[in-house]
Order: sequence, then structure tokens, then C-alpha cells
Amino acid sequence: MSRRTAPTEEAARSAPSPHTKATGRLSRSLGSSSPKFRLAQRRSLTGWTFLIPASLVILCLNFWPMIQAFILSMKTGRGTRLNFAEPLWSNYARLFDDEIFKLTLQTTFIYLIVQVPIMLILALILANLLNDRNLRFKGLWRTAIFLPSAVGLVSYALVFRTMFANDGLVNDILLGFGFIDGPVNWLGQTETARMVIIVGLLWRWTGYNMIFYLAGLQNIDYSTIEAAKIDGANAFQTFWYVTMPQLKPIILLTAIMSTNGTLQLFDESFNLTAGGPANTSMTISHYLYMVSFRNSPNFGYAAAISYVILIIVAVLAAFQIRVGDKRD
Amino acid sequence: MDTFRKSVSVAAVMALSLALAACGGGDDGASGDDAASGDGAASNGDNTLTVWAWDPAFNIYALEEAEKVYQQDHPDFALEIVETPWDDLQTKLTTLAQSQQLDQLPDIFLMQNNAFQKNVINYPDLVSDYSASGIDFGEFPESVVAYSTVDGKNYGLPFDNGTAITALRTDVLTEAGYTVDDFTDITWSEYITIGEDVLAKTGQPLLTGQAGSSDLIMMMLQSAGASLFDDEGNPTITDNEALLAAIDTYQQLVTTGVLVEVNSWDEYINSIVNSSVAGTINGVWIVGSIQSATDQSGLWDITNLPKLDGVDGATNYSANGGSSWAISSGANAELAADFLGATFAGSTEFYDTILPASGALANWTPAGESDVYAEPQAFFGGDAIFAKVVDFSTQVPSNNTGAYYYEGRDAVSVAITNIINGADPAAALAEAQATVEFAMQ
Repeated sequence: MSRRTAPTEEAARSAPSPHTKATGRLSRSLGSSSPKFRLAQRRSLTGWTFLIPASLVILCLNFWPMIQAFILSMKTGRGTRLNFAEPLWSNYARLFDDEIFKLTLQTTFIYLIVQVPIMLILALILANLLNDRNLRFKGLWRTAIFLPSAVGLVSYALVFRTMFANDGLVNDILLGFGFIDGPVNWLGQTETARMVIIVGLLWRWTGYNMIFYLAGLQNIDYSTIEAAKIDGANAFQTFWYVTMPQLKPIILLTAIMSTNGTLQLFDESFNLTAGGPANTSMTISHYLYMVSFRNSPNFGYAAAISYVILIIVAVLAAFQIRVGDKRD
Repeated sequence: MDTFRKSVSVAAVMALSLALAACGGGDDGASGDDAASGDGAASNGDNTLTVWAWDPAFNIYALEEAEKVYQQDHPDFALEIVETPWDDLQTKLTTLAQSQQLDQLPDIFLMQNNAFQKNVINYPDLVSDYSASGIDFGEFPESVVAYSTVDGKNYGLPFDNGTAITALRTDVLTEAGYTVDDFTDITWSEYITIGEDVLAKTGQPLLTGQAGSSDLIMMMLQSAGASLFDDEGNPTITDNEALLAAIDTYQQLVTTGVLVEVNSWDEYINSIVNSSVAGTINGVWIVGSIQSATDQSGLWDITNLPKLDGVDGATNYSANGGSSWAISSGANAELAADFLGATFAGSTEFYDTILPASGALANWTPAGESDVYAEPQAFFGGDAIFAKVVDFSTQVPSNNTGAYYYEGRDAVSVAITNIINGADPAAALAEAQATVEFAMQ
């Protein structure tokens, strides 16, 4: 009995000929087995081809320095005379005794807890307002609110510093309107200095997050909102029960990004308040810079500080994903 | 055939991407950034030197004039100047030294006197010393040379004079019935008394300063020959009589209103230029900023500092800042030392040129003896201030900086802010000492 017709697909799949088994997968992919299998193989190969270059770049430029930084954080010494510490975690243990570090940790957390929720809620409200179909000059409002995030970090910090000076614009306006009796020393007191930084951050990043929410809102099917209106929900109920759940992934994204950005805050602390009165508005990254470049360089310790930031960001991000990302 | 072409093109793209990624990944060792690539590397010609310095109106102008002076005897000499602000320069030095990319350093760079000990002690292979240069360091004031001397060797050639002066508005003083002579060779308690009187009569405070800045206290400390660190480098912040006296004086200045605290450098300069204050105490380099207020010409004069009451060794002279030239290791050290020695440490003609145009005051004593220095300055009411300052500079006491100077200054700044807000001085200073000792571990 000769095989004049090729075996059917099913027969070929369930009982591959000894020939293909011996020569392996490659010959199979070159056409001796079913078309479906070959396509899947090729798709997978194409996918890997596109992934590998980018992954290699990330590996070399992100993960390799991170590993080196971790090794550096286990060394002590000044300048280039670095040796492994005894015990290895002594830099981390030293952090617990560092009063300035503990102060900056506290300050950074204050910025995080106060600024991020206010900013995200504000951005959400603004996005909702600007998503209204009947609003005029939408482009103008959106551009105006987004523009602050396009301004250079150093320039805006310096302008804010001038504005909140003792004889600056803010004091002039408040005095002119009679809200205060004498000029407020914004940058010279701890609470107000921190407040100025928070105001600066809100001004700058609300627009940025608002754009994310706008994009998310555009993706919400209008029929769901219509359905809620038909069911008799008012504006707030529509927002809370219909819009918000559909925005959850975007909210999660912006929350993680904001947390990450605020924990690594540097420019405002450096340029706006220069660490503020007696180091009280200094952030962890600013302190890191001082330890590395302004004071007597102690790079092992600086690497340990940076790893603490990394750990905190990672923990918070994991927590936020756990709470926010409920995929079915 | 289609499949073959596709696989070949995919393979080619993959190979190219891998090569790109490998090239990109291999660079993570180098730390010199875009600026260093163009101007690094010591002497690209036999007679060319690269210099990193800041301030085009002052240091860079001086370098250009020095180049001209040196070219009179060495016509094929050239100087490549790269403007680099001090903060950037310090970051670059630390980065290059830490990553051992020392060939990216220039031949010469300018360094703040306060930072010399820290950089030389931590990175000894960053700079070359001047021992083979033949420059006579006795021609510079001892206190200034001391900043850049480590283990008895000289690593810096002093340039920018940081001698402290009291600058005063003579018109405001006259209104209150005083002259500049009433401020010469006095004590701080006398200064505060006069200051209160001037404030009452004219409504203008005598001093302005940045809140939380330890500059004024450091100047007072140095005027008494005291420091934050002893000769071995141990912190002497607690039980420091001169420091306690300085802080007490500072407190009195603030509470009486004779000193007005502002929050940033711009505000500080503004208060001088806008006539909100009747004077200031700072290094002589503040004259450049004062002179930017052209409408106040003829209304200023200078004198020496008040001395601390009740402290042994108190003087009327001090310094704040100043910078010196360092020669990097691996540079064309001979040529660099020869150039610097012939101009900054050897040419009165050079100093005569730069003084009138930029107010660049020499630390080099022979320069101070020239006629140009004795010329009356119209802005300062016809007083020959430069000759005065050179005279002051010879009487400034030295102070110990050490590798942890910035930590010390920071800790004292924090202590000052807390003391102004009501903390007990002894306790605040003890905390400052603990902070510095922790940082020194």
C-alpha cells in the first residue's frame, strides 16, 4: 500500500512519522508538519526578536547598575578607598542612627501622604469637568492646565522661590488684599516651607495626571453613563458607581507613578528651599546628593540610602497593585 | 523564497539591534559626560592648557589676561577655557575621581578654598602638588595658603581674595551722625549699640544675611583664630568659647533688628542693591555685587570687622571663601606651574590690568604694593579700598577646614536656626557635634 496522498492533518499530529521525530523541531518548522504549528512557532520567534534588543538595553543600563549599586552599598570608606564592610549590612544599620536621614524620611512621607491624594483627586475632578461634551474652549483649558508640567523643573522652582520670598509676589498680594498683617516668612518656617513645595508640586503635576484621566475617560463607553442617567443617578452617583470602576487601571497607574516620583523628589528640595530651614524640607534624594557630592564623599552609604528608596517604592507599588488591580 | 527573505531580514535586524544594544550597554562604565568628551584630556598640544573655571566676569576674564601676559614670552602658548559653575565642577571632580577616569580632567581647575581639604584628602590622585614649581608661597598670606596645604605640601595657588570687609553706606551713617571711622577697630557690642541707634534714627538695619547660613558666624569664628575642627581633624563644636560668643552675638544682632535675615542669595543681593540695608559684612568679592547698583556710586566705604568681646585671640580680620588654582594629576604639570607662576604668582602687570576692570583682588602680596592698588575708588567715596584690603589680608588668622568642613558648617547652620527659634545654645551645639561625629564615621 503506497501513500499517494499526504496524510491528513489529524493523522499527522497524532502520529508523527519517525522521520520528523528524529530530525527534531527545526525540520518540523520548515514545513514537514501542520501549518498551524508552524505559524505559532514563527509568531513566537518574531516576538522574541522584537523583545530581545529592548530587554538587553534595559538589562545593561538599568539592572546591571542596580546590581552594582547594591554591591556598593555593602562597602564603606571614603573616596575610592572602598572596602567591604564588616558586617555587610553596616551601612543599612547606620541609617537607623542617622538623624538627618530620619528627618528626610519623615519629610518625604509627609509630601507623599499630603500631596499625592490631593493631586490625584484634583486631577480626577478636572478631567471630569473637562470631559463635558458641551464645554467650550476645551483645548484651551486642557493646554493651560497641562502646560505647567512642560516647564523646566529648575526654572519653576526658582520662580516659586522668588514668588514666596519675604518681599515676593505672594506676600504683596496677600498684604494688598488685607488677608495678613505682615509678610509671612514662607521659606523660613518648616510648615510653610513644606507647604510651598507641596503647592509647587500640585501646580506642576495635576495637569499631567489629568491628561491620563482624560484619556481614560474617553475610553469609557458613553452608553454606560447614559444607562446610569436613565436609571436616575445624579452626577456624583454616576461618577462614583459607573465612571470610577472603569477608570481603576488608570488611577492605579497614576498612583504608582506619583508615588514613585514623590519619593524620589529632588529638584524642588534643592532649588526651591535648599533643604529648608535647618534641613526640615529636605528629601531623601537631596540628602543622598549631599552625602555624595557636597560632603566628604561616602558612596557606599549613598548607595544604601538609594536602596532604601527603592525598597520603599517597591513595597508601596506592590501594595497599590494588590489593592487596586483586581483582574478577573 | 518569501519565507527565506523574511527570515534573512529578521536575522539582519536582530543582529543590528544586538550590536546597538551591546554598544549601548558597554558604555555604563564611563562617567565623563558630554562636556568632558570635548574638553578633557590634558594638553592636546605641547603648548596648550585646558582650564575649568566659573564666572566669566571675574575668573575667566583674569585667565584671558593671564594668557596674554604669558604669550609675551611664549608666543605659541594657548589656553582653552571651559566655563563650569562651581557646583558642577565639584560634581565632575567627584565623579571623575571616583570612577578613576582621571584622563578626562583638565590641566588646571579652580577650586573653592573650603573644598580643598575634602577633595585632596579623599582623592589624593586628583591633583599634583606645587613642590617642583619653584613658586614662593611665602608671598601669599599664610591663612590663605593654609587652605590648600595638606601634609605640608601645597596643592593650590591662591587667587580670589576672600578677605572679609564691613561695607557701609556713608550717607545713611551721616544721617545718623556716624562715620566709617566709628566702625573701625571696634568690638561687636559697640557695633550692635551703634546699629540700634542707626536703626532708630534711619529705619535701616546695618546687616543682611541668609537665614540659616553660617557664613557670618564662620567669619566671626575665624577672626578669633578658632575653627570647627582642631589640628587633628576632630570636631571642636562643643566647648568652643569663640563659637558660643559668635552665636550669642548673632542672636543679639537678630533680636535687635540690626541684622535682617532673608531666605535666599537673590534676596540678599537685592536687599543691598535696593537700599533696604545700610551695609553688609562679607568677603571682599561682594564689592562686585555692590557696584552693580550704579545709582549708589560714591555712597559706600569699607572698613575692617568688629572683634568678638571677651574672647582670647580676637582680631578685627577674617575671611570668607576665596578660591585657588589646582593642577590636576596627569596634566602637563611643568607648563601649568610655569604659566601660573609667571602670571598669578609673578606678574604685577597682570594684577594691575585685572583690578580696575573686574575688581579682582590679589592674594599675592607684591601685587598689592603697586600704584593701581593705591588708586582711589570713586564708588567708595574716593577711598583706596583695594590697598586697605590687601593690608587686612595679611592679618587674617588661619582656620582649620579639614575633609569634613561642609558637614561641620551644615551642622552649625542647623544649630543656629534652632537657637534663633529658642533652643538652648549648648544643647544645640552638642547636637551639631554629634551630627558631625556621626558623619565622620
